[in-house]
Amino acid sequence: MKSVVVSLGHNKDTKSRNISAWWFLVLLALTSPTLYSKESATFCVQDDLGKEVCLKQAANRIIALSPGATELLFAAGAGDRVMAVVNYSDYPPAALELPLIGSHTRVDMEALIALNPDLVVTWVTGNPPAQVELLQELGVPTFAIEPRTFEGVSSVIERLSTLAGTEPEGYAEAERFRVGIAALTQQYAGVEPIPVFYQVWEKPLMTVNNEHLIGKVLKLCGGVNVFGDMQRLIPRISAEVVLQADPYAILTGSVDGVSDDQLDEWKKYAGLTAVEKNNLFFVPASPISRPTPRLLDAIQTVCGKLANARENLANARENLESVRGNLKSARENL
Amino acid sequence: MSTLSTRDLIINVPGRPDGFALNMSIEPGQIWGVLGPNGAGKTTLLHTLAGLLPARSGQVQLNSRSLTALKRRDIARRLGLVFQERQDSFPATVLETTLIGRHPWLSPWDSEQGDDQRRAEQALNTLDVRHLSNRLLNTLSGGERQRVAIATLMTQNPDILLLDEPTNHLDLHHQVKVMNLLRDQAGAGKTVLMCLHDLNLAARWCTHVLLLHSNGDACWGLAKNMLEPTALERLYNQKLITVEADGAPVFVPVSF
Amino acid sequence: MTRSLLGLGVLALASMAFALALGSVTVSPADLWQVVQGEGSTLHRTLLLDLRLPRTLAAFGTGGLLAVAGALMQVLLRNPLADPYVLGLSGGAAVGALLAMLMGMGTLIISGSAFAGAMLATVLVFGLAHGTGSWTPSRLLLTGVVVAAGWGAVITLMLAITPSYKLPGMLYWLMGDVSYARSPWPAVVVLAVSVVLIMPLARNLNVLARGAMQAAALGVSVRPLEWTIYVLASLLTATAVTTAGSIGFVGLIVPHMLRLILGNDQRIILPASALAGGTLLVLADTLARTVVAPEQLPVGVITALLGVPTFLYLLHRSR
Repeated sequence: MKSVVVSLGHNKDTKSRNISAWWFLVLLALTSPTLYSKESATFCVQDDLGKEVCLKQAANRIIALSPGATELLFAAGAGDRVMAVVNYSDYPPAALELPLIGSHTRVDMEALIALNPDLVVTWVTGNPPAQVELLQELGVPTFAIEPRTFEGVSSVIERLSTLAGTEPEGYAEAERFRVGIAALTQQYAGVEPIPVFYQVWEKPLMTVNNEHLIGKVLKLCGGVNVFGDMQRLIPRISAEVVLQADPYAILTGSVDGVSDDQLDEWKKYAGLTAVEKNNLFFVPASPISRPTPRLLDAIQTVCGKLANARENLANARENLESVRGNLKSARENL
Repeated sequence: MSTLSTRDLIINVPGRPDGFALNMSIEPGQIWGVLGPNGAGKTTLLHTLAGLLPARSGQVQLNSRSLTALKRRDIARRLGLVFQERQDSFPATVLETTLIGRHPWLSPWDSEQGDDQRRAEQALNTLDVRHLSNRLLNTLSGGERQRVAIATLMTQNPDILLLDEPTNHLDLHHQVKVMNLLRDQAGAGKTVLMCLHDLNLAARWCTHVLLLHSNGDACWGLAKNMLEPTALERLYNQKLITVEADGAPVFVPVSF
Repeated sequence: MTRSLLGLGVLALASMAFALALGSVTVSPADLWQVVQGEGSTLHRTLLLDLRLPRTLAAFGTGGLLAVAGALMQVLLRNPLADPYVLGLSGGAAVGALLAMLMGMGTLIISGSAFAGAMLATVLVFGLAHGTGSWTPSRLLLTGVVVAAGWGAVITLMLAITPSYKLPGMLYWLMGDVSYARSPWPAVVVLAVSVVLIMPLARNLNVLARGAMQAAALGVSVRPLEWTIYVLASLLTATAVTTAGSIGFVGLIVPHMLRLILGNDQRIILPASALAGGTLLVLADTLARTVVAPEQLPVGVITALLGVPTFLYLLHRSR
């Protein structure tokens, strides 16, 4: 509460006192909107569905209904205000200590209600609409997230921090992310674009288009997503179209980026450039799949892999050149 | 006491051209036997007389009123049927099955009263199956089940009794018992008609006989007139020797 | 025999009390009593009145509807293996619901679409089976089974083309989930009204169960009765599936279990099915949401786990 100190001065003159009083009132009038809004309208933001979410006071009892939401809340500086999370909320490590209330597709409503949350962060494409509707009917404030761009990630962190009253930390983290993205964008601005394929799932074969954050990661690193222009966010495709597109590199996510058998199917096709040049790569799955600041790590990993890919291609070309060179000299010697 | 009559009745045997039009009057006190080879349409006739199958042409009348004009419930109070083939998809006890016979007499909200129970038990007693009252139907032998079916008809107590091969599966003792029971019923004013494959039973117990040929030809009348050896041989396409026993003819098929 | 109905009624009430008392959050009997009296903390009031009570009533209504529909189908088709879904009703409802989910509609439209799908399926099977004028139970059954297979193919197609993030919602609907029931009242009201309406016809059903010819010979108007049962069973099933998706097993097993204990009189079996089916589903749903909380299990799994051993035990005992 701003206190306005008015000195009535040493003028014992009534007229001066009245003028001072007048200034006091003017000052009060000018500052009162801010005072007023801080009471009731400061904690107002729009969620990713365009809905206005307003809280009377900073959110203190938050529940996250997706692992991504958990990470974003911690990034916004509101980690200590999160009361419960859903399965697989494994980052940051502090989140592992939090109680679980089910999975993102099946939430234990009773446990949720019993915690008396003042904010529930939902995931548009992950939580079943029926559950979110039930929450809304019970009068629980919900904030929907669905970032599809890097700027969207920053924006969500900022908005969550507003709701949680942790704007300094949140805005700082959002800015750090922005700066990081800008730096990486600049770093990889001039690289040679190569066609790539990102495998989301093996059976059925699924990939992403360029609307998806993963598609944007690939783009930043100079990867041309061969399925980038497909209509669906996560299309289901056949092996044939991958063979037809002949990507120079194939990437997929795995736990901690450890190689496993998910790309073994492709090894059958010796004619695939990616297989020929040994450009089958694994990246850590969580950082690239979640819309969080860890995308910076994901970008660095992917860009590194694509750099490897370009090297392999370059070596191959060099070998080819030297083979041609040898042939030419061999012919000349005949 | 009720009369079942037919007016130019032609039964509908699918694939067979029209048979002979039947004009019969089945009256109280009469015991009719319907004889004929397999496929002649005996069961079809029985079901048509009961109003369960539509006739190809002509009418069946119950006390001079066409069956089609009567409600099913009213028909069921006057006419009852024992089928040759029965469906037993759900387990039921003998007593439950027999009590079903009272259905035409009860309104939707009635449940079976003491009187109904007594009738059922009496009928079971007459047919020598009372001791099986609480047994499940599908655990009984063929003969026992046949007797339960007849007991159901007795419980229903209609004026007109139609039976399709009532002595099927029954041992000699019970065959005679059942036929005597039907004779007693007729004596009390009931009207009885049954399909028989054993023409000797017809000879012993029936007052009237209907001969149904496989091509649809038919003739009917008093038993002693109908049970004429040449006609029977033609009916069954089988040579017969006629013998007399106990005042009634006995027909024995010969193999040459 | 009214004693058994009374016993089942008591069991039903006990199961509902059990369901209200149990959950992820413990509510003591004292708290329960307070809420009943109109007081109690906001948390308890929300828990009991907004979450547990509607869910319990929906489970009871759905279970009762399915069991009664199953009993009716078994009489209609003269086949102990019939269940409410055998004629493709749940398939039609599923196609309706999944279509609405595919188009991103809200829960109210999803329910309405499911109901419309069920009714369409009913009319379709009825019309196809009617064919050249007379339909027999076997013709109806055959038509229904084939149409159900057709719906199954459409459902598989829809699952194949739907965006992956919509799949979990669809799968849960197909498995059956009482938690998505928006309001228990359609299920409960339809159940109560139907049982009252069918009681006068119950003895006719006893006779019908012995065979259509036999029933006609005993004065039952077979065709109108069969139509009535068909429409009624379809309505019951459609309401159940609209409320909680296609929960299997209840409609097949509950009438059978009751027949093993109570005999074959439809006048007892029908109201008993309503009570026992409701009780079974309430118990199953309570277990599904508490046994590995906060994980939530699909209720259909629990129904089978409870029902199968019980049925086998009763079968063994009846030998």
